[in-house]
Amino acid sequence: MTQAEIKLCSLLLQEHFGEIVEKIGVHLIRTGSQPLRVIAHDTGTSLDQVKKALCVLVQHNLVSYQVHKRGVVEYEAQCSRVLRMLRYPRYIYTTKTLYSDTGELIVEELLLNGKLTMSAVVKKVADRLTETMEDGKTMDYAEVSNTFVRLADTHFVQRCPSVPTTENSDPGPPPPAPTLVINEKDMYLVPKLSLIGKGKRRRSSDEDAAGEPKAKRPKYTTDNKEANLDRFHQHFRDQAIVSAVANRMDQTSSEIVRTMLRMSEITTSSSAPFTQPLSSNEIFRSLPVGYNISKQVLDQYLTLLADDPLEFVGKSGDSGGGMYVINLHKALASLATATLESVVQERFGSRCARIFRLVLQKKHIEQKQVEDFAMIPAKEAKDMLYKMLSENFMSLQEIPKTPDHAPSRTFYLYTVNILSAARMLLHRCYKSIANLIERRQFETKENKRLLEKSQRVEAIIASMQATGAEEAQLQEIEEMITAPERQQLETLKRNVNKLDASEIQVDETIFLLESYIECTMKRQ
Amino acid sequence: MKGSDNQEKLVYQIIEDAGNKGIWSRDIRYKSNLPLTEINKILKNLESKKLIKAVKSVAASKKKVYMLYNLQPDRSVTGGAWYSDQDFESEFVEVLNQQCFKFLQSKAETARESKQNPMIQRNSSFASSHEVWKYICELGISKVELSMEDIETILNTLIYDGKVEMTIIAAKEGTVGSVDGHMKLYRAVNPIIPPTGLVRAPCGLCPVFDDCHEGGEISPSNCIYMTEWLEF
Repeated sequence: MTQAEIKLCSLLLQEHFGEIVEKIGVHLIRTGSQPLRVIAHDTGTSLDQVKKALCVLVQHNLVSYQVHKRGVVEYEAQCSRVLRMLRYPRYIYTTKTLYSDTGELIVEELLLNGKLTMSAVVKKVADRLTETMEDGKTMDYAEVSNTFVRLADTHFVQRCPSVPTTENSDPGPPPPAPTLVINEKDMYLVPKLSLIGKGKRRRSSDEDAAGEPKAKRPKYTTDNKEANLDRFHQHFRDQAIVSAVANRMDQTSSEIVRTMLRMSEITTSSSAPFTQPLSSNEIFRSLPVGYNISKQVLDQYLTLLADDPLEFVGKSGDSGGGMYVINLHKALASLATATLESVVQERFGSRCARIFRLVLQKKHIEQKQVEDFAMIPAKEAKDMLYKMLSENFMSLQEIPKTPDHAPSRTFYLYTVNILSAARMLLHRCYKSIANLIERRQFETKENKRLLEKSQRVEAIIASMQATGAEEAQLQEIEEMITAPERQQLETLKRNVNKLDASEIQVDETIFLLESYIECTMKRQ
Repeated sequence: MKGSDNQEKLVYQIIEDAGNKGIWSRDIRYKSNLPLTEINKILKNLESKKLIKAVKSVAASKKKVYMLYNLQPDRSVTGGAWYSDQDFESEFVEVLNQQCFKFLQSKAETARESKQNPMIQRNSSFASSHEVWKYICELGISKVELSMEDIETILNTLIYDGKVEMTIIAAKEGTVGSVDGHMKLYRAVNPIIPPTGLVRAPCGLCPVFDDCHEGGEISPSNCIYMTEWLEF
């Protein structure tokens, strides 16, 4: 784990869970898997506190455990899972666009609590929705359950691995830590709960346990559900591909690509390089209802997509009116390359971007040729090449003409290695987000006194309103905050929002780069 | 050539053999095995008689190559249409760049607005290099005669700018603008992603990024770039 990643993880853990969890979490990330006593000893915290911290981390899937030989249980932190916490707002927003408020609250509850049983989720969400509805109306449990089932059907929510029920009970003492298993087929099953009730009045027909699954109860009712982050990532990836096609071609082509991706959602695994081949007839049948384009027009669009230099769509056969696949790996590579080009353009200027794209296309090229192809004067071209070389966007390949590698008799070729440039940029993104979070905390700390004062005033006003105070008294209390202070508060709020939004934007870049790196590593 | 002795005749012969690429004085020395002072005297003589001339090479500005007086220097020496007197004409290239791009962009716009079936729409948004060449010649912004290859080098720079894409199709020999049985077609395109998230934050463009850490001289808490950015 790089230094930047560890710093970012520590900031995130501290913000979401507090000091003690942060200490334990960062220690585990730094040192790999360790048993309980060693953690307590190394961090200098009491055993009790370490146990509580580990409980929180395990509940949120940030730490996993394993039984080693001699019965020692070792805990290991998942650094990449901690970094996903940055993306929670994006997950929640996506569910809101797909499944409206109910879905949004379900996913929010699941993400905030790590794992929950279905009945607990349904109750909480129904209560929250009822609070926001008008007086007299309540949210029905059944509606929330329906949305939950739909989420599970499209794989956005999945069951957590649980303790396997053994046929004959173990005669010996139970193992120090259970090994959790989950059957592939059972991942998206939803228990058939008959929850009778509405929000605020609890009358569900089954009792639910706390978070821990117990081996004695039957599997169904106590199973925990968690949000399936991989599925969300697949959705984001599809969104990025569709918008790229919309930018390069037109709206109709992007709709066709969206249909193809939707049809392959469940059939293709998230790390496959190509989707399953889809015939043009199937695509025609699955187009959204509003689009009436004729079959020939659809065929023409498909041919255009397959011939486009972007190579997102490929033709794999002629049966069924033409079989088409989406080239996922190529799409991710193009998106990552476009990200790199965009960064080079913004940082160094559009002439530098021209040189960068030139080297990308030609793969290996000499300095003299760069000047000729890019039509940039020699001095400036040299300067820009060296700048990009020093920032590690490019590298040099030496080809000696003589065995003694004399510099005057060697060819020096410039080349771009996309994978290493992507990794370098990813590292920079992590550090940037850490900087943004630190700045946000600094701004909040600077104005702490003012924030506390405004909170006190609000509390006073609320209590006075509850006891029915007069308008004049309320006015007086409000004037305790002077106008410049009010403005300061406004500025603070605006700054914090801006920093927050910026974190989410940098996270989008992180997502593209990480998907590309993961996809490439799997192929090798 | 009366009045010149054998040495001069030899040097003249060597320069004539070099054709329109010219030959460097050191190379003349190797070929004729004459001492340097002699060579210089002879070259001065021939120049005053207006039999040879010296042309400065664009590759190495200190080098002078000699060639016969009435020959046109080759492109590799003068740099071709983009160099005028050894200077690379950046503004000229820029202007041509923008003009070609505008032409292709307007062609794509009209194709998009025609709203016909997609195949025709796409085909009509392409322009062959011959069409672009004709348009530029008609515009008359160039004092120098430009060939189709020159226009193709300009169009290549547009490809490296990410604004234009190219395809090659097979064309019958004899159709206008085809070279060796293919034709190059160009089309204006949009970038596939908007400027990425990292460059919207000040850290993405910061020149002192590597020196920045909490508690140091440059840190997120006292970063002046962030302060300016927040005031926007």
